Amino acid sequence: MKRLRIERWSGQLLTPRTRTRTIQPCCLRQQQQKLASYTARSYSSSSAAKHPSPDDELVFEDEGEHPELSASDYPSIPSYPSPLPSAALESAKLAALHARLGIPKKLPLQTMARTLVDPSADPHKHFNNASLAQLGGSIMSYHVSEWLLCTYPRLPMTVLFAAQYAYSGPKTLQLVAREWGVETAAAPGEEVDPGLLQFSKLEPGTKYGANREGGTVRPDSRSYYRRGISSRVVYDDEFGDAIPKLKDQNEPLPAELAYSNFVKAVIGAIYLHSGAEPAKTFVKRHILSRHLAMPGLFQFKLPVRELSRLCNREGFEYPVARILSETGRLSRHPVFVVGIYSGKDKLGEGSGPSLQEAKTRACVASLKAWYLYSPGKDVPVPSDMESGKGAGERGWEPVHIDMGEVIH
Amino acid sequence: MASRTTARPLQSILRRARPSCECASVQSTRRQCIRQISATTTKPGAKWETEPDERPRWSYTPEEMKAPYPWKPKDPERQFECNSDPKRLDKFYNNFLGPGGDQVLTDEVKWLAITHKSFDQGRRGFNDRLAFFGRRILNLQTNIALTRSGMATKMQSRPAPNDNREPFTHPKLEGLANLSDMPLGKVLTKERLATLATAAGMREIMRWQPRNPDRLATSGVDVVLNTGIYAIIGAIALQKGGAYANDVVREKILKPLGIS
Repeated sequence: MKRLRIERWSGQLLTPRTRTRTIQPCCLRQQQQKLASYTARSYSSSSAAKHPSPDDELVFEDEGEHPELSASDYPSIPSYPSPLPSAALESAKLAALHARLGIPKKLPLQTMARTLVDPSADPHKHFNNASLAQLGGSIMSYHVSEWLLCTYPRLPMTVLFAAQYAYSGPKTLQLVAREWGVETAAAPGEEVDPGLLQFSKLEPGTKYGANREGGTVRPDSRSYYRRGISSRVVYDDEFGDAIPKLKDQNEPLPAELAYSNFVKAVIGAIYLHSGAEPAKTFVKRHILSRHLAMPGLFQFKLPVRELSRLCNREGFEYPVARILSETGRLSRHPVFVVGIYSGKDKLGEGSGPSLQEAKTRACVASLKAWYLYSPGKDVPVPSDMESGKGAGERGWEPVHIDMGEVIH
Repeated sequence: MASRTTARPLQSILRRARPSCECASVQSTRRQCIRQISATTTKPGAKWETEPDERPRWSYTPEEMKAPYPWKPKDPERQFECNSDPKRLDKFYNNFLGPGGDQVLTDEVKWLAITHKSFDQGRRGFNDRLAFFGRRILNLQTNIALTRSGMATKMQSRPAPNDNREPFTHPKLEGLANLSDMPLGKVLTKERLATLATAAGMREIMRWQPRNPDRLATSGVDVVLNTGIYAIIGAIALQKGGAYANDVVREKILKPLGIS
């Protein structure tokens, strides 16, 4: 085998180029580097010596193929943070997304492109989705909360907050947007396809969420104050979470927040272009059609006590636990079935390996039966009256308004 | 297609259910120590023992919820009397909602909407749920009013001068810039709504228990007033429909606050 002459090869490859020779970039990366260097030079007042030419380090394979092109032929293109509105009309991804979601034709592709640009990608308020997301977010919260209150009128406040989060929180909206087929751009920029979600991504390992510094907008945010549930209705957001104070819109953010802003912005855009009814239909089809197992959201501290207080409040007879059936009492795996009775009526039933557990489960079942009372699945909601068709000739029938959960 | 979502775990104030204490369960099993399927003993012709009370629910605490004797002597300095006169309440509703305002809500809901959780330890109901819904309505209507507001459009801030891009314009998107100029937290502040509620006379009729009756401000009267306002809106929406509630919000809350 011939011995490889490394020094000869390396000498050929690493021959330095002279400044006077014309440079033709062979790939997009080099072309952009070249343009960046030109723009840097054109904007800065200092000489070219301050910005070292990248020509020296670049290695070109096909030198001398296009001698007619010179550096001055490349115009100085300013780099915008997001694609221009005209690019929206040429994006296949965007048009496909628009069609796939069944969005009305009244909503132009340029607005659809705007919904995909987060403020962290482009701070210009006419190019990002911040206002659209604010409007769409309030529309979605309204429809989700009215559906929850009309379908489950007796939900405790903590469960109501949790259900609102499960239907319209950032994690859910991220799932929804990913199901729609929306992908993220690696980094924001002008050359990005308008059909990709553009936002500044967080560095891996950044602390986010409860660990962040900066207080909340609540005035009672000291450690010795107890953040109660009632005050969350006034101070906090629709999930009962404290709103952080230092919120710079142009900071990098997690993907779930960017996705949730996008979904809210789509709803806002539909509202502005098509009206309230199409926006409501969109929320119903994409958000409220999802399944949530409501019984799993409950967590009771002292269910026996809570049930007895509930019976006292409502004027039922004092609840009594009775064994309905049992088996294997002296064995290793007994099963006791206990029912809670208020007079003649059975409130709930539970089974367990011990009498205490069976009684506790029966109390939990009774409380869930009370709190999860529902008049039905397709209940009329208050926003039905806004469309004009209303709830039929009889007008609006008042919805059941519950007193509140048991405090014990 | 329906798909499962991960349910969010509840806040840490609700801990896991613990089984009841040993003695209570042993007592109950001693009394009903029946091995077979039990059956309730019913006396023939037995009437319902407790007669349904004639009094409206808002006016009394259920007797069974009260302790047999006072736990500790009542401190006269902590006493705070709340309104229990229906006529004064009707007067407030007429003041706030205009003539005929006392007929908008039913009796129980009228009282529930202005009852805070601190009143009577929550035994007579409270307005949290109504306030939750009312706040959603108010936020939405304020956002919509801002996008349609001609005054706010005139006072829109200009974008940065370095950027020479032409944004996409559409007649329907004109009012959108108002939302970023006037964030909701600055428009619907706690203090502004509390002032509106005080002007309507809510302080005199709302039912709550301040931490310190001599210093209502530090006891959180603003928060309670806000909850009351939100709750009234929520109650109107649930009893009269969304369109009616939106009109009330626009006429009675946003207009006095200067957003139209």
